[in-house]
Amino acid sequence: MIMIVCAMLVVAPPAALALNIGLSLLLGYRPSEHRLAVSTQATVVLSTVAAVTLLIGMLWTDQVQYTLDVGRWVDLPVEHFHFTVKFLFDRLSIPFVILSLVLCGVISAFANRYLHRDEGYTRFFLFFVIFLLGMVVTSVAGTIETMFLGWELVGLSSALLVAFFHNRVNPVANGLRIWIIYRFADGAFLFAALALHHLTGGGDLNLMMGSKPWPENACVLESSHALIVGLLLLIAAAGKSALVPFSGWLPRAMEGPTPSSAIFYGALSVHLGAYLLLRVGPMLEQSLILQWTIVAIGCLTAIYAGLVGRVQTDVKSALAFASLLQVSIIVVEIGLGLRYLALIHIIGHASMRSLQLLRAPSLLRDFRRLEDNLGHLERPQDVANATEDVAPFKIWRFRFGMERGYLDTILDDWIARPFLSIARWCDRMERRFISSICSGDVDTSSRPNRTDETEAA
Amino acid sequence: MSISLEKIVQSCKEAAELLPRQGPITKFAFLNPLQGLEQVHFDHAMEHVGEIYNNKAYLDDYRYRAMLGRGRIKESDLQDVLTEELGARATELVAGLTARMELRLATLKYPLHFGHRRELDWVLAETESLRKFRPELLNEAISSRLAVFKQWIMAERPPDVLATLGRSLGWSASKNEQHFESHRVTDIPESHWEYVYLQTLWNAIKTGVHQRAREIKIHEFDSNRHTKHSLLDHPRMSEYRAATSDHRVDELMIQFTAAFVDQGFAQSKLPGTELGYWECFKQIFSQPSRFASRWRRELWKLLRELEQSDVGPLESIRKSLLKLNIADEDAPAFLGATLLSLRGFAGMIWQTEIRPDLFRKPSPPGTLLEFVAVRLLLLVLAKDFPQAPSAWESKPSSPTNFSRPQMDSEQLAFLLFELAQVLDWNPQTLRKISAAQWQELVVEMLEFGDHQRRRVFHAAFERRLAKMAMRTFQKRVTQPPIRPENPTLQIVCCIDAREESLRRHLEELDPTVETFGIAGFFGVAMYYRGVGDADFSAQCPIIVTPKHWVTEEPVYALEQSDRTRAKARRILGTVQRRFQTQSRGSIGGTILSTLFGPLATFPMLSRILFPRTTALMNQTARQFIAPPAFTRLHLERTAGTPPAKPRVLKDGTLDDLGVGFTLEEMVQLAERALRDIGLTKNFAPMILLLGHGSSCLNNPHESAYHCGACAGNPGGPNARALAMMLNDGRVRRCLASLGLSIPEETQFIGGLHNTATEEIMFYDLELLPSRKIKQLRAASQLLAEAARRNAHERCRRFESADLGISHKDALLHVQNRSEDLAQTRPEYGNGSNAICFVGRRHRIRGLYLDRRSFLMSYDATQDSANAAILARILAAVVPVCEGINLLYSFSAMDPGGWGSGTKLPHNITSLVGVMDGAASDLRPGLPWQGVDIHEPVRLLFIIEATTQTLLHLMNENANLNNIFRNHWAHLAVIDPYTNQMYRFSKDRFVLFTADGPDSNLEEVATAIRSQDWYQNRREHLPFAVIAATENGRQPEAAPQENTSRPTELPA
Repeated sequence: MIMIVCAMLVVAPPAALALNIGLSLLLGYRPSEHRLAVSTQATVVLSTVAAVTLLIGMLWTDQVQYTLDVGRWVDLPVEHFHFTVKFLFDRLSIPFVILSLVLCGVISAFANRYLHRDEGYTRFFLFFVIFLLGMVVTSVAGTIETMFLGWELVGLSSALLVAFFHNRVNPVANGLRIWIIYRFADGAFLFAALALHHLTGGGDLNLMMGSKPWPENACVLESSHALIVGLLLLIAAAGKSALVPFSGWLPRAMEGPTPSSAIFYGALSVHLGAYLLLRVGPMLEQSLILQWTIVAIGCLTAIYAGLVGRVQTDVKSALAFASLLQVSIIVVEIGLGLRYLALIHIIGHASMRSLQLLRAPSLLRDFRRLEDNLGHLERPQDVANATEDVAPFKIWRFRFGMERGYLDTILDDWIARPFLSIARWCDRMERRFISSICSGDVDTSSRPNRTDETEAA
Repeated sequence: MSISLEKIVQSCKEAAELLPRQGPITKFAFLNPLQGLEQVHFDHAMEHVGEIYNNKAYLDDYRYRAMLGRGRIKESDLQDVLTEELGARATELVAGLTARMELRLATLKYPLHFGHRRELDWVLAETESLRKFRPELLNEAISSRLAVFKQWIMAERPPDVLATLGRSLGWSASKNEQHFESHRVTDIPESHWEYVYLQTLWNAIKTGVHQRAREIKIHEFDSNRHTKHSLLDHPRMSEYRAATSDHRVDELMIQFTAAFVDQGFAQSKLPGTELGYWECFKQIFSQPSRFASRWRRELWKLLRELEQSDVGPLESIRKSLLKLNIADEDAPAFLGATLLSLRGFAGMIWQTEIRPDLFRKPSPPGTLLEFVAVRLLLLVLAKDFPQAPSAWESKPSSPTNFSRPQMDSEQLAFLLFELAQVLDWNPQTLRKISAAQWQELVVEMLEFGDHQRRRVFHAAFERRLAKMAMRTFQKRVTQPPIRPENPTLQIVCCIDAREESLRRHLEELDPTVETFGIAGFFGVAMYYRGVGDADFSAQCPIIVTPKHWVTEEPVYALEQSDRTRAKARRILGTVQRRFQTQSRGSIGGTILSTLFGPLATFPMLSRILFPRTTALMNQTARQFIAPPAFTRLHLERTAGTPPAKPRVLKDGTLDDLGVGFTLEEMVQLAERALRDIGLTKNFAPMILLLGHGSSCLNNPHESAYHCGACAGNPGGPNARALAMMLNDGRVRRCLASLGLSIPEETQFIGGLHNTATEEIMFYDLELLPSRKIKQLRAASQLLAEAARRNAHERCRRFESADLGISHKDALLHVQNRSEDLAQTRPEYGNGSNAICFVGRRHRIRGLYLDRRSFLMSYDATQDSANAAILARILAAVVPVCEGINLLYSFSAMDPGGWGSGTKLPHNITSLVGVMDGAASDLRPGLPWQGVDIHEPVRLLFIIEATTQTLLHLMNENANLNNIFRNHWAHLAVIDPYTNQMYRFSKDRFVLFTADGPDSNLEEVATAIRSQDWYQNRREHLPFAVIAATENGRQPEAAPQENTSRPTELPA
């Protein structure tokens, strides 16, 4: 009984708070700063206590896995589809959910003072609570559809927080770009979920991975099926965790207020892709090709992040690429099957990077103190070897870093542009076709809507 | 035929004057952002900033109108300003309808729709503005108007009006006249009449304006004003601004320039920076790249061509201008626009070039030209690839355009329509007025447009504030001065507005204390290096370049300990650096994050949840390796001239020969400092010199909170240096021979006031004779109490501090703020500054100036006939305070334009500045969180001197002349002998009288203690007289004061 209550209490408070803030804003009531801060903190503390209690309870009763079934919300027997909400607490999800809650708690305390008197205070906290809810749901999801629900909430709130300063152009442009990449990844996720339902008759992560608790569970899928589902999930994970070729969005996400940059891109959101792979870890082992693909993508991203991170001149981009480097190493670890290591790595890295990002505005002071510690420093004399040629490789490497590996341009020119031309061509054909059958009633002069043009990013 | 290369260089130099003057953010420079325009009148410069910078000038109308509602501006102030400007034109009738003054006042007073064209569309479509009278009109006024209107209709029966009435009542269109006959006028409900009235009015105005608007040219408000600036009046400036801003070019320029000016942040340095901007750019980008963005895929070819034909940056600028089809005579303006389009980075590049001493990695001369050359090259490339018509790329970098807005005839008509309602111009008259009258109306509306309206509001606001300030000062100076006959303690603070309250509290607490104000570098301009510092910092106003070098050294007995500690620090530093780089690397990062990562939660939690405790713990831990507690300044140089840079000996120490001041120099500095503040007799036994600094965490703008007169460094070392000089027996002997005898008993002590935490610490106390300890103890207690009160007064400004907070909690509150990682407002700095007083403190002692006044001590009675002392004081104080004030004021006017916007997304770049978010131009100026309580006003200098002196000084000093005559700051003087006050206006001094019959000024309030006046109030307070200092005056001192008065105030 206590276990049920605790399990409920992990998920319910963030949901209730998100609903509460959202509804009161919808009804035109603007909660005060103090009230928002207190209720957010109370929510986080409640959920954290519940999660810790659950952990103690499970240790006490020697239970390694606990499932909370909230029931089927949609059931379409004819189409063989159902949407089951189920929460799974095990050795993977409990540490991750506790990590999410602790970091979110810290950030909410930070943001409360950091955003004091800002006109977007309420909006920030609304997005923040939606993010928190998404994180919790994703972490403890027991079925792939539940996970998708949380995944979407995280994606939505992240994109909105990137575009937090919507009166400037760059944040909105970058937020939109991230949103498009997220949608692409989400599409892959959705396909994977459908494929799983199709193959196993349900999206239950437990069932699909076998009956034993994580991480010993073995997958029931065949190798070829695992490859298909796995590749789709890999695309989803790559989008969320900014692996190659999607890496370009990560530094662009640093448009929001410092605390949101810290938590979303430094600490939690960026690890979500890795978490997904970790969750379906047993399935990955069914296919050697899949494992090697993951390792390869991880390695590529690591090289990319290493090269690009070295030349960044602003503190937030440098930290973003440092994060990406660690995430890609975590992905490699998952590909190699080192799941416990990966989990510890995630937890450690998330904590460390959050602290670094929160302290990012201190950089100048820290830098000065560091120099002072290193002792008296004389200014570099005019460099004598000014005429010495620089090795072309060095120049290439620097340029590669400065252009961020051309990844954005490649996506723009080789994916978005052809896609757009096809779409425009179809549009033209359709108009021509319609005008031919309607004998010119349709106004062909008006250009197609703007929505597809914005994807040109 | 094309533009000469010299012309290009000259144009770029001229345009560079308009760039932000912000050096590295760690050495925050408080300078007027429009310093380059100071030779032009303030009003005139403001008229053009929209075109040049696309920034807002003045506040938005609604904010001024809110002040009007709260009584911060009175209607009579607006009238005064308008009368002064318009002169005889004020009473002229415009179009025979209303006096010009009335018309303009109505435009100011009522919230009319001045907004965007689309806003008007919305107003017309969605609101009842064409059906209902404006809400300001009372019901009686409406009915009387309608009554006249009805009579007119009955008499004239205009068919179009009847048609409107018919539409409103649903009559059939062809038989309006018959319907009207059959109805009794009184049967038609009032709401229909209202509709018909407004429709008739609207139609009349629309037709009237439509016919005329096309033929009218906008008259300049005051066309006989001359500009001395070539860019200011260029007609195509805003067009060029649009042409030279390209989002894609910006992106590349930002990345490359950030790498170029990087002072050591990135792990890999940009290869070839020592070749210069141009060569380096060529080197990096002349490698072919298939994947570069399409628009610059050909860049490498272009660069290689330039390389082969050996074209330099200047020649390249000329070629690019040709390719962009810029005519020769337009080239200067175009170059200016090019420079200003990425002005944050351009300004920084310019600073690395002209102030190499502020940077670790300066740039050679000519770098700014190379920057322009590269930008033009990219613009040429981008021209062939029009920006994609996607949602964001086509927009300029700023969503609103503050250039002179274009009004169309419907907007004009609607404005007149609204005015017609409040000014009671009825439709029947308007239908009859002539074309010439319409023209007059339209011209009037255009002449008194958006900008002029805000200018008048602003002038009225400043006028009221200035008059109230002058009135308060006048009231105080006519009262007896308050000066202790035998002061027990004298305290010399910085002129900073933050010290005003501390000084007031000190004087309230102890009537025998005397305080002075002096520019916070105490006259000691030096490069200073503390014992634990890596590098020298310039400790003097940013406009001065120091010549002397001073170091801090451990005392001889602790040299060994210092070496050990320095070694320990170096080890710690090496570990820190390793950690920093490794945590961003691959293998190191993995090991660190898996092994120690989870531990990072502890410092994070404690830092955020218990900031103060964590700070104390850190401090304690640091004490083991901190430099020794007992140090000396290496202040004295035995001989010779100071070198450009002290020589470094082989063992890594500095050559003593180059460090310090000679005895004569010290005597000069000491004499000058004392004479400046008029402290030449009546010395107290203990004199504290307090520099000030601030401490805060997680704040890129930390330097902006330090002493502005010390180039954004804490002013402690300067106070310490001056105290050491003044305590030196040899210096005192020399001073005595110069007629400045300091009693032997008098002891000077240097100190540092932390304006964030209100902690005050002193230097060299171990040198204090033991007989002085008791005095010091008493002084410390006094200061501690004053600091507590000061903290309490500051807390009223912080919303997160309760208004009923106790003194003790207030101190804790401000201390917590400075240690809080999440605090974006550690203090408010000089925010809300409005006045600068230069004169004797005892004349105004006991004034509550709400931390809004800079206070400089100066005694006119001790000055020479040609005011030599005042001349040197003003030469430094006026530009410094004006710079601080205008940086605050502009940043508050448009936080996203002049200021650096909100701190929340700030991202430190290249160790020189901050960007907004992932990639933007550098953002100089103050952040919104630093100026949200600041009211933009130009500083009012109130100087205790005669008008002739000031006029003489303005003639002598071109800088003062520009600032005062062009009204970049306001000026008033108090005659030290007659107590008359004069205000400087339109190149002459005007006698100020507050108590005239038509005076609209409130009485000056009086309070017993400061706290009684500010308690429970958060907003800006009126200035007041605090009576405590008078009451607290010692009884035996009072009669003496009276007897001494005649000598101090010669008739």
